[in-house]
Amino acid sequence: MPKVSRITSILENFLFFWLGLALVLSLAGDRLEIPAFLQVLGRTHPLLLHFPIVLLLMAVGLLWVSDERLKNAGAQILLFGANLTGITVVAGLILANEAYEGDALVWHQWLGFGSLFLSVLIYFFRAKSTVFLRASSAALAMSIILTGHFGANLTHGDDFLLAPIRSNEVELVALEDAEVFEHLVQPILESKCIACHKEGKIKGELRMDQLAGLQKGGKNGPFVIPGDMKKSLLIQRINLPTDEKEHMPPKNKAQLTDEEIEILELWVAAGASFDQKVTDLKSEEPLFQLASNRFSNQKVYAFDPASETDIQDLNNFFRKINPVFPGSPALEVAYYGISTFDPSSLKELKKVSEQVIKINLNRMPLVEVDLGLLGDFPNLEELQLNTTGVSPNQLSSLEKLRNLRNLALSGNQFNSEAVASLGKLKQVKRLFLWNSGLSESERDELKKALPNTKIDFGFDGKGVIYALNPPKIEFDQVLFQDSMELVISHPIPAAEIRYTLDGSEPDSLQSPIYSSPIWVEKTSQVRTRAFALDWKGSTTASALVFKEGLKPKSYKLAFEPNTRYSAKGATSLFDGTKGKTNHTSGEWLGFTDTPLEIEIFLEAESKPKTIDLSFLFNESAYIFPPETVEIWTGNQSGWQKLPETSTLTSTKLEEVRFGVLSYSLPETDFEQLKIRLKPISKLPSWHPGAGAKGWVFVDEIILN
Amino acid sequence: MEKEIFEQGLNHNRRKFLSRLSLGIGSVALGSLLIPDLFSGKQEAEDGLMRALPHFAPKAKRIIYLFQNGAPSQLETFDYKPLLTKNFGQELPDSIRAGQRLTGMTAGQSSFPLVGSYFGFNQYGESRAWISSLFPHISSVVDDLLIVKSMHTEAINHDPALTFFQTGAQVGNRPSMGSWLSYGLGSENANLPAFCVLLSRGKGNGQGVYSKLWSNGFLDATHQGVQFSNSEDPVLYLKDPEGMSRSQRRKMIDQIAALNEMNYKEFNDPQITAKVQQYEMAYRMQTAVPEITDTSKEPDSVIKLYGPDCLVPGTYAANCLLARKLSENGVRFVQLYHQGWDAHDNLPNQMIGQAKDVDQATAGLITDLKQRGLLDETLIIWGGEFGRTNYCQGKIQPENYGRDHHPRAFSIFMAGGGVKSGMVYGETDDFGYNITENPVHVHDFQATVMHLMGIDHEKLTYKHLGRRYRLTDVHGKVVKDLIA
Repeated sequence: MPKVSRITSILENFLFFWLGLALVLSLAGDRLEIPAFLQVLGRTHPLLLHFPIVLLLMAVGLLWVSDERLKNAGAQILLFGANLTGITVVAGLILANEAYEGDALVWHQWLGFGSLFLSVLIYFFRAKSTVFLRASSAALAMSIILTGHFGANLTHGDDFLLAPIRSNEVELVALEDAEVFEHLVQPILESKCIACHKEGKIKGELRMDQLAGLQKGGKNGPFVIPGDMKKSLLIQRINLPTDEKEHMPPKNKAQLTDEEIEILELWVAAGASFDQKVTDLKSEEPLFQLASNRFSNQKVYAFDPASETDIQDLNNFFRKINPVFPGSPALEVAYYGISTFDPSSLKELKKVSEQVIKINLNRMPLVEVDLGLLGDFPNLEELQLNTTGVSPNQLSSLEKLRNLRNLALSGNQFNSEAVASLGKLKQVKRLFLWNSGLSESERDELKKALPNTKIDFGFDGKGVIYALNPPKIEFDQVLFQDSMELVISHPIPAAEIRYTLDGSEPDSLQSPIYSSPIWVEKTSQVRTRAFALDWKGSTTASALVFKEGLKPKSYKLAFEPNTRYSAKGATSLFDGTKGKTNHTSGEWLGFTDTPLEIEIFLEAESKPKTIDLSFLFNESAYIFPPETVEIWTGNQSGWQKLPETSTLTSTKLEEVRFGVLSYSLPETDFEQLKIRLKPISKLPSWHPGAGAKGWVFVDEIILN
Repeated sequence: MEKEIFEQGLNHNRRKFLSRLSLGIGSVALGSLLIPDLFSGKQEAEDGLMRALPHFAPKAKRIIYLFQNGAPSQLETFDYKPLLTKNFGQELPDSIRAGQRLTGMTAGQSSFPLVGSYFGFNQYGESRAWISSLFPHISSVVDDLLIVKSMHTEAINHDPALTFFQTGAQVGNRPSMGSWLSYGLGSENANLPAFCVLLSRGKGNGQGVYSKLWSNGFLDATHQGVQFSNSEDPVLYLKDPEGMSRSQRRKMIDQIAALNEMNYKEFNDPQITAKVQQYEMAYRMQTAVPEITDTSKEPDSVIKLYGPDCLVPGTYAANCLLARKLSENGVRFVQLYHQGWDAHDNLPNQMIGQAKDVDQATAGLITDLKQRGLLDETLIIWGGEFGRTNYCQGKIQPENYGRDHHPRAFSIFMAGGGVKSGMVYGETDDFGYNITENPVHVHDFQATVMHLMGIDHEKLTYKHLGRRYRLTDVHGKVVKDLIA
């Protein structure tokens, strides 16, 4: 097989080429100027490396067996594999020039080179002896695996392989539990210093594996001088140039990182305390900020999560149990639905009692319920018992809850007995006691008993006097026929309602008190106010109700209303339908360019005595009282103008409202009436639209 | 019905059956070991949901959003600008306006005279925040507030601005903030909707609120905001008809469920089971809702806290009280709207009325949650859709003027729920026109609110019409400075 052997010999030659090239690159790599195209070759390393791994391991396997044919095949594969190893090593060495450094790189590089060397060695000396073959191929396999491992560490990080197993062992510390020395400083000492400063190897007579040793110091003096960075040996030594003999850690040992140096410095500067908590530091201190990045914001719990099926089984429409966030072992429980609440359901939580850290029982009826049930929750941190009707004697059970931090007891009636029980709850940081019936002295007593607890007594409203809101007037319709029922109400049951029907202002002394619905039999303006103890009297609420008038024989408008507000024409003025407060509602006749002028022909013998004109007023929408009101009575002898027809004047923007202008008609005989309402021609100067034309809106004319 | 049949088809077809089978028993078995949820039918959406959820306990569990619809003026409330009073009537410099577009309402104005606040300002609390005399009660709780004076938005008219604030987009059809939270976090109390909407209206110039603002958009309809009626019966048709007892109702529902069950066995349509569950929820709401909406047992101090209007259904104060009761009963997102802030003219007068509506009840709500130990887990937000101009719209008088819409800078405030308290964030220039430090865009605000609720706004997405949508579109960054 001459052809094969030629290829074989070329490949064999190449092996030496790779070996030489790799050696040169390894030794002089960092002095090389790598051209861009070679960088590309270097970057094929992560791709190429898979081939030699497979081929070499395969070859090792085949060489191990005694079957000659397989062994020969193994040799061929080994030749290919060794060549690919060569290319891979060269590519790797080029890649190494880019931005890799550190122990893992050194190991990876030399192990890779070793693998190449070994595979070449085995290829040429495979026939020497079986022992040599087996030993060297086993070494090659080991070398390949280790090369791969360090290579993976380079790209994925040092602890990539074992991280999933290790991560469970790392103890997470919650920020609120963390101590400056124990959790920040000591780990640094342990990893970087203790190896040489511990029992059996006390260099410089300084022991760092126990507190006493640190406090005692070494042969050159104390370990630290609290608050004095310059004089503290620790800080001096770690900041010396690396080459100095006194520099710590010594040159050939693992060095402190910048962050570690900073932590040690800040710790000394802050007084080098051995028992300070991180949370006691001020939040703007750099040490706190460094620490808060290191520790979990979350509290870390020692207990295991409860079984998910248990949690699911306990959830129902009226009781919700959830992890405080997805994945947390800690659970919170909330109860809903007063009418369906069953206190014994608390017992069902036994299965998860260790994990529950928060229970919300707000509003659930807990009168006479044994709160000892809550003692089953050793890790409970927050308990909400607002308006549950718990009484003082139930509170003693809460003492057992050693981890309780927040306790909400608002809206329950307490007394001095409760103060005694609550005063023992030193573990509670925040206590809510709004509307709990505690006297001033009881509150002070409780504050004294719990100096470290923030107690919120809330707003009791005592001595605060506000005005009541006005009563509400209800009736079926504004226009009624014979009589109508008026109902007045106020949302505060204790409020006293006073009213008048003659348009005068109700007061708290003279005006009649409303006790039952009022019947009105004539057009009335009802005005009403509410009064109550501890409140200022309300503003006045008022309403106009009209007794429906006579139906005229016929009527005729001199000018049509504005086309947008024409309702059903003049008919609307006598149809007994009161308009709504919205002028576009379709019951209102609106006039602006022309006056409302109407002639009314009366039925014989109807003899009306009064005329009421029902208006809408809304200054913002330019709707004003008429500028002038003119009324004439008429019979065969002609028109007779009423002498006194005063009108209203708007003086400011007010909210939209109804208005009425009432006039008495003369005793004389008349068959016709003429009314002329002139819209205001120029809005007054205080109005935003000053100078523009105003409007008149009327929905009913009532004759009685 | 067509949809049901279609979905039914999707649930059972030969292709699906064969494709399942072709996976091979072995790989399926292995897969099921590695992925416990493999057969539980979790869809991509739900997986996305899990990615967006917190790996830390969220600061806020619930939100009460007091939307001041129509845009209250920042210059009469929280952004004190004495220069505007000093320079009353002087022209707004072009260098300040810097080409800002105008609405059609003032674009025709020949001049833009500056006008200062009719109302005086004072500093309050430990934070020494400036608040106008319109808000005596709110200023008394100033140390619980985080006032953001540097909000800015993109829209200049009400509807797009409102829609933008609520749904993250100026056009409609996107899910509202409350819907996103309902989708992301679900309901705390299974007997109530996760997202409730309460409306009230002041006497000032009003702007409409439309149901699209609390729409579920493309999310499941269960995440839609449920609008409560502002009458005596906040949820209509809950009461059993007269003469029908609770047990009769129960029996009726059981019988219907039995019939539905038969139907389900025949057609296997999941909509049928959904319907059964809806009947059950309605049944539970019959007791859950009256328990919450009954205000008759509120003590006097609560009435004084919110003001006596809190007992008058449909008022802002009543809605605040109801919001507290819904929230403490586990409703994730209570959205209030108070209309009437759009004071283009007669601003001082209109603002007096509006402020009277909201001042006491807002402060009362904050205090009430605080004294029950609930403020820490409830986020309160107060604010409108944009701000108002520093120049006068219409006729200018020191005591009677108007202001147009201004999107470049306005103020809102938040309280509780993990935001810093007693802080004023952001600053505007002396004209109150441009932001000079720490601008907060609407999307930043939304991202921050989501973050407070424990949701990563970039990860809470929903795939619809071929792309993934989120509340903050492709923008928004959490404003860390606001978080306690």
